[in-house]
Formats: sequence, structure tokens, C-alpha cells
Amino acid sequence: MESLRLTRRNFMKLVSAMGASAFLTTYKADIVKAITEARDYWHIAWLNGGACTGCTISFAQASNPDLLQVLTEITVGNSGLPIVLPDYMETIHIASGTLAEGLKEKWKHGNKGKRILVVEGAVQDPGYCIIAGKDFRDHVVEAAEVADAIVAVGQCATFGGIPAAKPNPTNAKGLSEFLKEVGINKTVINLPLCPVNGEHVVITLAAVIMGAIPELDEYGRPKMFFGTNMHYELCPYRPYYDKGQFIEVPGEGEGCKYKIGCKGPITWTDCPSRKWNGNTSYCVEAGAPCIGCSEPGWPDEFSPFYNEVPSLVSAVVDPTKLGTGIFAATITGIGVHAARRTLKGGKGGEEDEQ
Amino acid sequence: MSSNIVIDPVTRIEGHLRVEMKPTEVQTATGSWTIVDKAYCIGTMFRGIETILRGRDPRDAWFITQRICGVCPAPHGETSIQAIEAAFDVKPTPVTVLIRNILHGAYYIYDHIIHTYLLIGPELGILAKYLPMVPPALGKEGIEKLNLGSSYAQALEIQRKANEIVALWGGKFPHHQTEYPGGMTVRPTADRIASTLARMTELWSWVAKVMVRDFRSLLTANERIGEAVSTLLDIEFRGLQDLGTSTGNFLSYGLFPDHENYGDWLSLLDSPGKRESALIHAGAWDGSAKSFDLEKIAEFVKYSWYKNESGLNPKHETTPIPDKTKVEAYSWLKAPRYDNKVYEVGPLARMINTFGMKWKIPIRNPVTEEDLGYFEYGVLNPKGSVIDRVAARVALTLLIANKMFEWISELKGYMGEKVTNYRKNVKEGEGFGLWEAPRGALLHYIKIKNYKIENYQAVVPSTWNFGPRDDFGQPGPVETALEGTWLPRDVSVPEVCNIIYPEKDIDLSPIGVNEKMSWGDVLKPALEQLNLGRVNMEPVNGSEYNTSLALTVIRSFDPCIACAVHVLRKR
Repeated sequence: MESLRLTRRNFMKLVSAMGASAFLTTYKADIVKAITEARDYWHIAWLNGGACTGCTISFAQASNPDLLQVLTEITVGNSGLPIVLPDYMETIHIASGTLAEGLKEKWKHGNKGKRILVVEGAVQDPGYCIIAGKDFRDHVVEAAEVADAIVAVGQCATFGGIPAAKPNPTNAKGLSEFLKEVGINKTVINLPLCPVNGEHVVITLAAVIMGAIPELDEYGRPKMFFGTNMHYELCPYRPYYDKGQFIEVPGEGEGCKYKIGCKGPITWTDCPSRKWNGNTSYCVEAGAPCIGCSEPGWPDEFSPFYNEVPSLVSAVVDPTKLGTGIFAATITGIGVHAARRTLKGGKGGEEDEQ
Repeated sequence: MSSNIVIDPVTRIEGHLRVEMKPTEVQTATGSWTIVDKAYCIGTMFRGIETILRGRDPRDAWFITQRICGVCPAPHGETSIQAIEAAFDVKPTPVTVLIRNILHGAYYIYDHIIHTYLLIGPELGILAKYLPMVPPALGKEGIEKLNLGSSYAQALEIQRKANEIVALWGGKFPHHQTEYPGGMTVRPTADRIASTLARMTELWSWVAKVMVRDFRSLLTANERIGEAVSTLLDIEFRGLQDLGTSTGNFLSYGLFPDHENYGDWLSLLDSPGKRESALIHAGAWDGSAKSFDLEKIAEFVKYSWYKNESGLNPKHETTPIPDKTKVEAYSWLKAPRYDNKVYEVGPLARMINTFGMKWKIPIRNPVTEEDLGYFEYGVLNPKGSVIDRVAARVALTLLIANKMFEWISELKGYMGEKVTNYRKNVKEGEGFGLWEAPRGALLHYIKIKNYKIENYQAVVPSTWNFGPRDDFGQPGPVETALEGTWLPRDVSVPEVCNIIYPEKDIDLSPIGVNEKMSWGDVLKPALEQLNLGRVNMEPVNGSEYNTSLALTVIRSFDPCIACAVHVLRKR
């Protein structure tokens, strides 16, 4: 069957309608073709700051097109060069030391094509991350100033993530917050989750190269990935919740994971439909609670991870911060007991001893 | 240190690492050669994960410590969960141990493949004139017609299969989600087991056929490398077994417990032992196999920028107090020692502590009964070396791939059984977790007070290997291993290749070049097209030093710097 032809204009709609995985499977060839035909050579620099490198590894798990295709098949016009072979990427690049930094300079000052800056990891106070004798902050500022598009990958680069968790020893923060502070007023496409999902990266890079700028929510996240509520709109285990059938002990029985701490009700992401590692599984499918890693305020406002949502005082006190009316509706459904406990200011976790 | 040769950043590792090498000149009958006199390893990024952990729910520790490192998150999670279990006084069920072995077994296969091919592989492939391990510089055409990068490309694809197994049992990778103190949130189902088996069959074939073959090719080329370098430099250099030699002391905590004998696994926390019922044993090899004794670990800080008391066991250590004015200090890493001596950790330490100096691993698929003989290997340098470390990774990958089928088949017998020995939290407790990350021995320590984490310590592999000198003046394993490494002056990577392989025998007719060329002459334009003509060349005082061999030594330890500097403070 002939599927609808992929264009700059229907790109986002199709991703939203089909889900990331089905979209990539269906339109893989179109994406490869479109990128290869892109007029300008898009140069990519992938910088790592206060990071664990998990996002790089997650990028390597993407399929359709996978990293190998990206490196070997998707070439620019007739140049023969891989279009998204990053000019700079510490974890996989062949070059080290002086040559690696030289390639980064070349990326900054080249006069051909356009530049995409990808940032992995949080931006910290001066002195906590130094590469080639220069603070990561300066690397970021210089690169952001010349970038034609900026993508923050993973929780740390978007919202500060684990390094920014209390007491935030290095004053870590997300890229967009940092850029605002230093007066660089550019749009940052935020791809949270911990780590970033590799397919989100591939689709976003493809969209940028094709000129299909993703529509972003108030936190800078593409709506096509982060516009749906995990629990309310997407969860395949939702019927258990509606029936009041809950898993009470990790690994025992069938049911909704709400009572072992699932943060689905306060989390907006396409995990249940797009899944991870080549559409293999995702946290809730493997019996684990969602820990809310796509959201600003993570991990502090989402932990203790095994505690029920209403026990997280911060979440209930400021529902607007976490999204929409869906949140209120969900909380109502959870039951009077839990809500009352929370509203009285009980701190979940204190009474958790055996 | 202005005349030092500096590599910053060291790429194709995890994290931010700067290496400074003080060169010296040696004279031989054939000329004057630059070698490394002294080396200094400097981690350049700090986040403070242990500080972040304090005051949190103890059960959150295993999630958060995974984020110490995104390349080896699974081992951090596992070590943490074992420390929490010790503190909670709860034992995992046999089915839990099996599921964890399968999850972490698949993880190990991924990690050793990634390291062997994507991280250390490019230099090995180039040095050995072995095209399948060289990155695919000529794209798809080069792979198809010249085998250039064929194994590199397959490695990228096949590692995904291993991580799909992690996702089946862990929800996702990196940062799996399904462990719980005393158990797992995931249960064995016929579907999960079948999906695991299907992927393992593919993985096993690749490891047994491609990875083992590639290593044997490296071994063959190794002799040639030895001869060429010996002749040129007029020194005794047998090959990569004389590159990156360390102390000959090897430490392992053991891996993959027996699900029916978890008591043996746990006994190491209370008394010296070897965890001999596990697939990989614990031990402190110093020329012969010795039991491992947790009490003998101490961290020294004489040459580290800390005010803390030196020589303490992690249990007695407190938050690091930075002191940038300390005169003799030069590193943010501490120097962990065992019995006051320098020990190397990592795959070679695991193999030697389990099998000694000669290994014989069957290449036989337990399910299909496909039989390809044995992978036999005798350690070439008892002090450890680049080639021995690579061999150990290949051997372990095969060993684990074999064992995966057994665990999967055992697991079928536990369907429907209780998975978790549930315990919610404890008011007080403390405990150690001892496990292995692919890069070496990993220790976590947790102390719980009033249901919260009061203290958390992690002693990680790259601190063992990349740490500085200790209070006795003994250099760390990598500092030792870099000493004496040749830094070819003003000789580029293609030129080194032409020295080792002068013959014009590479047939490029499949890509339309009707002229046979030498290895270096093939590499030169391929690298230049990708702006990589000066790869690994570091300029100092008007000369350029080729750091390929030094980088190979560094990468042979598989550094993971986010791990090593997680406890460090601001410069």
C-alpha cells in the first residue's frame, strides 16, 4: 500500500498521529531520502557537560534509521560525506585532543552549510567541567552563538536532572535556563527523559534538517513526543486502575503500578507507544513504576520513587506546574483516602517503616 | 609542565579525561626516540552524586547511582541494590538472582562489544592492518566491497540486540528500572524467555564467529607489529603484550552468583573468600590466587587534593574535604589500595582470578549444539598488557554468552514462583555491595539512619586504575602502564602504518582503483577526507607527537571518568 508522502508540512502531524516508532518504520526511506537531498550540509557538534554519557549510548540504540545508517549511508548530496557524522562527539569520535578541538573550531567557523548544536549533560557553575583547558560553559556559549538549531538531549541538559537534585552541589541547570542567563535568546528543543530516547533524537534531527520545526510545549518539549499523559491517555494498564486492581508488592500479581509509586499520572511522554530499545519494552511494561523522568522538577518532585503520587507534597501543591486539568481529574480518581492524607500535609515516606 | 605532551579530551572513553605525559629521549643504535617518562591522569568533571544521595529514601539509591555512569549504569544499579539488601537484611529469591544474571549478562555482552569495537577497536584495527575493525571510512561501499569496517558496523548493530534483552527484563537501557531490594518488579513469562532466547541465538553466533575470529586476526598481526617496532627502535618489543604493562596484581569481587548458593556470594561481606560458586570468582591475585578480604581495602590521599585522613576503609571514610593548597598533591582521584599494594582491576583481573593464566572456553552453543572447538588463550604478559586485556574481554563475552542459555533454561523452572522478598524500608542499617563493572571491581557502601541515607560511598574501577601515587610513593596502574610508551615524533598514523607494513598489497580494484597500495597510503586519503589526517598527533614545541600507542594503553583500561570523579570537588 502506498503511504502518504512525507513532507516538511505533514512531518509533525504524522509523528503525532502514528507515534514515533510506527512513523520511523513507515517513513524511514523518505527520511533518508529527504536528508540526503537536503541542500545545505548540516554540521553537528555534540557536546557533553555534566553528563553520564547515557544519552550518547541511548542514541546508539536508535533504529530506523539506526546509527550505522546515519554514519555510513545518509550522505550529503554528492559530497559522499555522512550528513550527521558529528563534527565533534567525545564518546565515539575518531579524533582526540588537539584534533578533536580543532574540528570543533572548524564547526564553529565554517562558512558552508548550517550548524546543529546538540548538548548532553547539565551546565554547572564555573570549574566543575573543563574540556581542553576551557570551561564547559564557554564551550556552550561559543557554540550556541553560531548554532542554527539547538537540541538539548536528556534530563540533565533540559532541566538539570540528577546533578541538579538537592542540594545541587554544583549548581547544575538545564541548557535553556543557562542560555537565558547569559543573554543568548535562541530556541532550545528540549528532549528530556533519562536517558533521551534515541529515536526522539533521530526524528528531531531529521525534522530540523528538513525544515519542519517541531511545535514545542511551555517547557520546550516537542508536543509530538511529550504532549500526551502517560497514565490518562496512553497507559495500556489503565483498565486495572479504573477497576481498582493494584500491584501492592513489586513483582507480585497483575495490576496497575500506581501503589508502588508509578508517576504516570503526572508524567507527559510517549513511552507506552514508542517504547525503548527498538520498541522492545518500557519501564511499566517490565513491571516497574514510571519515575517521571520527562518532567521538570525531576527527581526531587518525583521521589521517593516508590511512594504514591499523592504523598509527593510538591506535586499536589502546584498542579499547574505539572500540566493541565488532567492532573486534577486523575487525583480525584485516586481516592479520598490518599488525597486527604496529602492535603493534611503528611509527608509520604515517613510512615513507611515496617 | 609546558613541555608535557597533553591529550585533552581523551575521546572514545566515558567522561572527561586529560592525560599529561612527561617525555624523555632514549638513544639506541637506530636513533633517538621519545618515550613516556611519567604520566598524570586528570578527571575534569564533578557532579557530587554521593552528596545528592544523602537524606533520600534508601530505595532510591539504586536509581540515582545508575546515573553515575550511562555506559555502566547497570553495574552501579546492581552494586547499589546489593548494598541496600545488606542494609535491609533481605536476600533476593533464586528467581531474582537468575533474572539479574540474565539482565546483567546481556548488559556485559553489549559493553564488551562496544569497547572492543567502537572505543579501542579503531587503533587496534589500524595497527594490525585488519580492515574489518577499522571504522567504515568509505561508508557502505567500503564495507561491502573491501570489508573496511565490516565488524565495526556489525558491532554497532549487534550490541542493540544485547540491550534489547536488558530492556525485556529491565524496561529500558540505559538506566533499567526493574530491580527492588530483595527482588525484581519483572516476572518470567514464556514470551520474555522466548524473546531472550531468539536474541541470544543471534548474539552467540556473532560472538563465536566474528568476535573470536577478529581477535585471532589481531593476535596474528601482533607478531608482525612486534618485529617491526623492535627492528626500528632496536629494542626488545614482542608486540602488544609489551605495551601497557602494569603491576601483576589483580583484584576481582566476582560476578554472576549461583542462584542456588547465594549464601556463598554473601559470605564475602563477612569474611575473606573467593565466591567460587559464582561464574567469575573474587580474589586478590599477586602471582597466585588469594582470597579477597574486604578489610584490606584502603584509600590513600597523600597525593590527592583532600585534607581527609589517609589509608581508611570506605566504611570509615567521610565526605572529602578539598584542599587545593596541598603541595605534593596532583590529582582529584584518591588512590585505593589492597593490602597497601597496587592492584589492577578489570576484565583481565576477572579472568586471572577465576581461571589463572591459561583459559579454555568452549565455543559450543548449548541449545543448537553448534560446536566450534575452544577459545584457548595463555596470558602473554603476567603483569598485564594491552593484548591481554583485549583477550580477556573477548573471553568473558564468550563465557557469558554460553552461560546465558543455561540461566534462561533454569529460569523456566521457576515460572510462577514468588519473585520478591519484600521489605519496605528499615530504620537503621548499613551494608556493602561488591560487584564488577566491565571496567573492574565496584564497591558501594550505604548507611541508613531514620529510614534515610546517612552516608553513601562508592569506590569505582577507574579510581583503582587511574588513581595517583599512594602514601608509599607507588604509582597507580595506568601511570605505571604508560611509562615507557613510545611517542613517535613527527610520524603520523599512516606513516607508522607504512613503517610496519611497507608492502603494496591492498587491492582496491573493488572500488575502482586499479593499483595495489600500501596500508598507510590507503589510510591517508581516507582519513583526510574526514578531516582526520592529523589523528592522534599532539603538537608540543614545534614537533608533533603520535599518541596512538598511549591512547591504546589508556583505552585498554576502559576508563570511565564520570565514575572516577563522582566524589571529587571543584578545582
